[in-house]
Amino acid sequence: MNPAVSLSPPRLAALLAFAALAATVVVVWPPLWDGRWDMSASYDVGRMVLLHATLPRLAVALVAGAALGLAGALLQQLLRNPLAEPGTLGVSAGGALAIAAATVSVPTLGGLGRDAVALLGCAAAAALLLGLTARRRFAPLAIVLAGLVLTLWAGSLTAVVVLANERWLSGFFLWGRGSLVQHDWTPALALGLRVLPLAVLAAALARPLGLLDLDDAAARARGVPVTAVRLAGIALAVALTAAVTSAVGVIAFVGLVAPALTRLAGARSIRDRLVWSATIGAVLLWATDMGVQVLTAGTGLFVPTGAVTALFGVPVLLLLLPRLRATAPPPSAAAFGTGTLARGPASAAIAGAAVVGLAAFALLVGRAPNGDWTLALGSDLADLLPWRWPRVAAAFGAGAMLAAAGSLLQRLTGNPMASPEVTGIGAGAGLGLMAALFLLPEPGPATEAAAAAAGAAVALGGVLRLGGRSDHTAERILLVGIGLVALADALSGVIMATGDPRGFRLLRWMGGSTYGATGAAALVALAGGAIALSAVAAARRWLDILPLGRATASSLGVPYGAARIVLFTVAAAASAAATLIVGPLSFAGLIAPHIARELGFARALPQAAAAALIGGALLVAADWIGRMATFPYQLPAGLVATLVGAPVLLLLLNRR
Amino acid sequence: MSVRPTRRAVLAGLAAALAGRAPAKAGPAPRIVSLDYALAEMLVGIGIPPVGVAGAEDWDVWVVEPPLPPGVVDVGAGLEPNLELLAALKPDMILTTPYVAAVGPLASRIAPVREFALYAGGDPLARARAAALELGHMVGRPDAAGAYLAAADRAFDALAGRVARLRPPPIAVVAFQDARHARIFGRPGLYQSVMDRIGLSNAWTGEANDWGFGVMAVEDLASLTPDLHLMSLEPVPPDAAPTLARSPLWTALPFVAARRVSVLPASLMFGGVSSALRFARLAVEDLEARA
Repeated sequence: MNPAVSLSPPRLAALLAFAALAATVVVVWPPLWDGRWDMSASYDVGRMVLLHATLPRLAVALVAGAALGLAGALLQQLLRNPLAEPGTLGVSAGGALAIAAATVSVPTLGGLGRDAVALLGCAAAAALLLGLTARRRFAPLAIVLAGLVLTLWAGSLTAVVVLANERWLSGFFLWGRGSLVQHDWTPALALGLRVLPLAVLAAALARPLGLLDLDDAAARARGVPVTAVRLAGIALAVALTAAVTSAVGVIAFVGLVAPALTRLAGARSIRDRLVWSATIGAVLLWATDMGVQVLTAGTGLFVPTGAVTALFGVPVLLLLLPRLRATAPPPSAAAFGTGTLARGPASAAIAGAAVVGLAAFALLVGRAPNGDWTLALGSDLADLLPWRWPRVAAAFGAGAMLAAAGSLLQRLTGNPMASPEVTGIGAGAGLGLMAALFLLPEPGPATEAAAAAAGAAVALGGVLRLGGRSDHTAERILLVGIGLVALADALSGVIMATGDPRGFRLLRWMGGSTYGATGAAALVALAGGAIALSAVAAARRWLDILPLGRATASSLGVPYGAARIVLFTVAAAASAAATLIVGPLSFAGLIAPHIARELGFARALPQAAAAALIGGALLVAADWIGRMATFPYQLPAGLVATLVGAPVLLLLLNRR
Repeated sequence: MSVRPTRRAVLAGLAAALAGRAPAKAGPAPRIVSLDYALAEMLVGIGIPPVGVAGAEDWDVWVVEPPLPPGVVDVGAGLEPNLELLAALKPDMILTTPYVAAVGPLASRIAPVREFALYAGGDPLARARAAALELGHMVGRPDAAGAYLAAADRAFDALAGRVARLRPPPIAVVAFQDARHARIFGRPGLYQSVMDRIGLSNAWTGEANDWGFGVMAVEDLASLTPDLHLMSLEPVPPDAAPTLARSPLWTALPFVAARRVSVLPASLMFGGVSSALRFARLAVEDLEARA
């Protein structure tokens, strides 16, 4: 830690607490000052609000913040990954899905109430996660990947439920986005009673957790039951997250930022990290919530606190990024190995034929106006083709671009979680679209596309700048990317919570719909996929060598820095183009390269080519299912791809 | 769903017959698809129901009145109507709003697209009336549209008279979204237009969004005038009532303590003239039942 800035965890906590206290005084003082603290009056508005709304809300903020900070610190230690946070496990997403599904299908919630339903959803997600990773002995990489996939899957299902019931679920966006509003002490007390024993258990687990700083073998050699400790720690983090989610919904970023700040402020021992992550988490959420109340007072705006934590959290994270000291080595893609199913040119021919067959199927098979299945031929087909072919072609081209970009990013960063979505390019396009929708009066489709492209370009510029600056780029790029994703997510959350009908247009675009694809856009998408693959072919030697590191690459005559910049540019451009066509939810970019590797395509070019075919086929299939499943209603292809692709990926990961 | 023609359709037909211009031109009624509930509801009122409506399967949940005639095809979501289905319906005209404007360029390959902006600032009831007249001209039944509006005006006048006799307290219209938050309706929303038209006063004069509502926490209701009457619109989330009943803050609110809280059946907040009239009738009937 730089001695010039003597930041310690207690000082940081005190600084945040001072800001929170100042805001609290602003909120609490007027009712006291007005002389309304008169216990003899039978009814007094200011007193009632202070006692039954303001104070329980403050208590909930403190307890929820502490629980999330603690959960984040546990997870970052257990998974040896500074990006880990409660959300990474998919637990909050499971709770949100349970609430959304219950709101629609069992309006009475079976008499259980929101809390219980959310808790069930969180627990189910956690059980699924642990079940899926048990065979890998809860290895950090397996858990992070399974958690991420689970989050995407639950998030997509939730979005499908919301889209199918758009008028019903406006309330879901307040709960789901972590509104801390209270009118009763019951939730605060219930939350406190759940979190307190979990915190005590976490303290008891501190010593063996600290020994996990060593690698697994060394920890075992010292007599630490590594698997049992990891399982217990994860169970604690899950329980803490579930308690918060069931009480106040999804509160973004506190679980990530609080432990990161604690680490940056110099906390070294595990005990310090746990205690101060919880403390800083509590004060952070308190300060944020009070800030929200002060800033929105009298504006008529309603902003859920959980969405705002990301707005506060992202800049803090980005500012402190250069000081984030290198943590334990990030998990490597080599841990996956490759499958042996497909080798040689025969398998490539089979794959190509399968893709052509799938495209023909998607063009010919559909449903008649009365809902019957039909095979369109002759003049029927001539009538229907103008509607169908641009969507099939656009889906294929976009899927191929995303998959090519994903396989480039995974190779360049050495991180198997990398994908166009995670690097923030899709989020950049989404932020651009939001700006157009809400800042311009009635923007046309062309303006919207231009704004999304501009947003993608800005995100791309930021990623490139980071990518070219230092050797520790893999983590930083992912952190910036996740920050942008959270920022876009938070802004869309604020928009959805205000109930603004434009929010549903945003949601639909973010789901990844090929609905608006024109013939020209479809041709551009196909060309883009071809260009991305040509670039991979031209750079295949670089791609095989770069993962070996700067020294090896230089000795083999590869210009390390320049090659990385060129390849990042290709990946980002392909991602941006695909995002404009099928939205930012690019699950194809994450999953297709993994499937390609699992099928046995190991070297750069065959893997990228196979991934492109798989990504394109995935989106064509998803688009067709989206057009057919709820006819005459339609589901966006990106969402369906996630619903179909996530379980496939989980099965593949769990196969060995 | 009812098979008989609606009261308003009969009225409109009668008016047309009395005017001596019985079923104008005798040509077939134009085939119209509406991607918006409000425009569809007024077409039904005028007596030329659309052949297709976006979101028709949820009509009975959100619009209720007037009932959608049987045989109207559900063309899918308003934001993404099924274009293959839309083309197969061979419509003469497709109606959109700024909200679904992105569909316009695609839909115009099938039939001429006409955009109506009911919720674009200003008084939505006035804009709906203008749209109804324009729709009447478009379908060749200007007299039926006039009769539809005249019937609505008579009904509004009658309701205004009943309100004047009641001298009701200020009204707050809310839609609970969960046990802790509610939308509250004001200017420039449809319900505000209705209150202005029949002489009710709105207890909430706060800042609303362009669509005429704001989002409130339950505690914010405490800052409104204590003598108000709270009307909460269906559908109410099922856990809202039991949770609120436990809250010391809610139960101490003067209008809750005095039991001036009622639950009204659903009426479309982004509706047209028929929805406005439905809300007016439900509100007045509720106030009379409590008088």
